Amino acid sequence: MSSTPLVCAGLGRRFGTKWALAHIDLSVAPASVTLLAGANGSGKTTLLRIVAGLVRPTLGQVLVFGQDPRIATSYCRQRSSLVSHRGFLYPGLTALETLRLWSSLLTPDNGDNELLELLGSVGLGDEAHSDTSRFSAGMRKRLTLLRVRLENPDLVLLDEPFAALDPAGQVLIESWVGELKARGTTIIMASHAIERAKALCDSAVLLEQGQIAWMGEAAKMPTPGTDLEAQ
Amino acid sequence: MKKMHAFGLVGLALIIVGSIYGLTASPPERHMGDVSRILYVHVPTAWNCLLIYLFAFGFAIASLWTGKQRWDIATTAAIETGVVLNILLLGTGMIFAKPTWGIWWDWDVRLTTSLIALIFYAAILALRTFIDDPNRRATLTAVTCIISFVDVPLIYFGVRWWRSLHQIQSSPETMAETMVFPMRVNAFAVLFISIWFMLLRARIERSKLESDEVVEPPVRRAMATA
Amino acid sequence: MSRPGLARQSLAILGKDLALEWRNRARVVAVVLFGVLVLLLFSLAFGDKGTQVLQVTAGGCLVIALFLSSTLSLQESFRTEDHDDALEGLLLLPTEPASIFYGKALANTFFLVALAPVLIPVTTLIYQVSLGPTQVLQIAGLWLAAAAGLAAPGTLYAGLTTRLKSQDVLMPLLLFPLEVPVLLATVKAFGLVFDGDPMGQLSSWTQLIVAFDVIYWCLCGVLFRFVVEEAA
Repeated sequence: MSSTPLVCAGLGRRFGTKWALAHIDLSVAPASVTLLAGANGSGKTTLLRIVAGLVRPTLGQVLVFGQDPRIATSYCRQRSSLVSHRGFLYPGLTALETLRLWSSLLTPDNGDNELLELLGSVGLGDEAHSDTSRFSAGMRKRLTLLRVRLENPDLVLLDEPFAALDPAGQVLIESWVGELKARGTTIIMASHAIERAKALCDSAVLLEQGQIAWMGEAAKMPTPGTDLEAQ
Repeated sequence: MKKMHAFGLVGLALIIVGSIYGLTASPPERHMGDVSRILYVHVPTAWNCLLIYLFAFGFAIASLWTGKQRWDIATTAAIETGVVLNILLLGTGMIFAKPTWGIWWDWDVRLTTSLIALIFYAAILALRTFIDDPNRRATLTAVTCIISFVDVPLIYFGVRWWRSLHQIQSSPETMAETMVFPMRVNAFAVLFISIWFMLLRARIERSKLESDEVVEPPVRRAMATA
Repeated sequence: MSRPGLARQSLAILGKDLALEWRNRARVVAVVLFGVLVLLLFSLAFGDKGTQVLQVTAGGCLVIALFLSSTLSLQESFRTEDHDDALEGLLLLPTEPASIFYGKALANTFFLVALAPVLIPVTTLIYQVSLGPTQVLQIAGLWLAAAAGLAAPGTLYAGLTTRLKSQDVLMPLLLFPLEVPVLLATVKAFGLVFDGDPMGQLSSWTQLIVAFDVIYWCLCGVLFRFVVEEAA
């Protein structure tokens, strides 16, 4: 099995007549943190969903740890985790019940004590028995981060992790990303919060209209919208 | 001339031969008289309807297995042809039933299951109109086709499992030789015509897809890297 | 890292669905009332033809009430999955699609069986049918088999149509023709139970329902991943 978390070759995806992604050639190094930047509709979410095996590419190839996520679906999903702007939550279940459900579908199956501790670690200890349908966007995001902790993946895909979070929540994300990085987890982060995200990332990819417009060190990434040819 | 039209020509020729023989040379049936001659159309249509649905089942499995569009085209063409044959078999069955048993529709098991098969294959065609993404449409068509076909064997074994007013299932061994010939000829005739219809339908679908083909956009600009 | 087996994952999904339905039990009550309403409407439609007609049609009306109630129950089972892409979240863990199917199909079977303690007594009352203890057990067993026969393809079709326009029309349009063997066999079997089965035909009809159940519980379990995975 390859240790390269992600390789895309000639990747393209069309919805109807519109190409959401085209000519994506990309390789992500292990234990790196990569920023995926770009305006709304530039293809960031589509790329992450293709890597997660949720969307089929129209052209080209994507390999996650050397495997095609549509063929070796279980393997790729065990090694990766997607945090999207949707919470994957069931209205009607409490926070503890939600974690219990996720935990029972993973190994090892954590007991309630461990799950309560996890909830406490993200500031949701008092909300353990609250219905998640009444959670704020920030609380839902924190719960989703716990999902990743339970999954313990080698590759984490973050789709707008700072969205809908208050400053305290954003700091939480930053420290969480730092923890993952220290553990050697590979992270690909799609974000509009360029300045905040750049500081966390090693490399960056700028998408414009579904194609890669710029790729390199995160610190040197130009502001989206800059005329790149003038540089 | 395209090879596919050979199927149509052979089918038409066979149906002319079979029908002329069935209408003139073969004798009337001992109990039903000349009314029985419709069986030379009804029975071959019924056999081929089942066979075409079996093709659709096979194409659906191939469509799920390979994910290739041509198998979805084949599945849809087979379902549409099967639906046409299904309508014809119900129509000819009713035309046979009226003078034979005095009623157009008697809820006989074989006719009833043919009607049910018509409804669920027509429902599959309706389902397709609600799905925009071609890959998703192909997948869901194949799934529903496979699930529906499992019900189709009831058509074939219905007479054996339940008491029925329907004609005891026709097979060459129970018929006079002069009746076997037009039945067989028309069976092949309907098969060839059905294959011709399926090939025509598949060609129409393929040319529609080719005209809808959307080309990948050109590479936007040389990528600047730091 | 290995994942829990099919059975454990299915039980986790079953537990989740049962918990959610318990929280939403007002809706369950509404579905039961709907079933009672269907029985009532049929009895009004046929009632003026005399007691004998009512008794003869009792089995058929009961099965139709089950079928119509099932569409409400089955469609609802996927609304919670769609709400926050929760189903997608399960698939990403990853959870085997077959586990999700069997968990949800078992839950749907349970909900359909839960209709029996109300609908069967209402039928005996309105349609003037009397049942001894043996007959009650026979009806209960047939109901379970019929519920399982509805739940398996019903769960698959509910998942298939959940994001389509006109789901409320498409799902019954696809499901009901497929369920005709279960409908015929259950109606016949109920009728035989009500009449005391003088010719001993009950077992053949029961075998048909059970055969349908076995075929569709296997087939739908295999095909479910194509329904829920867009990239499959």
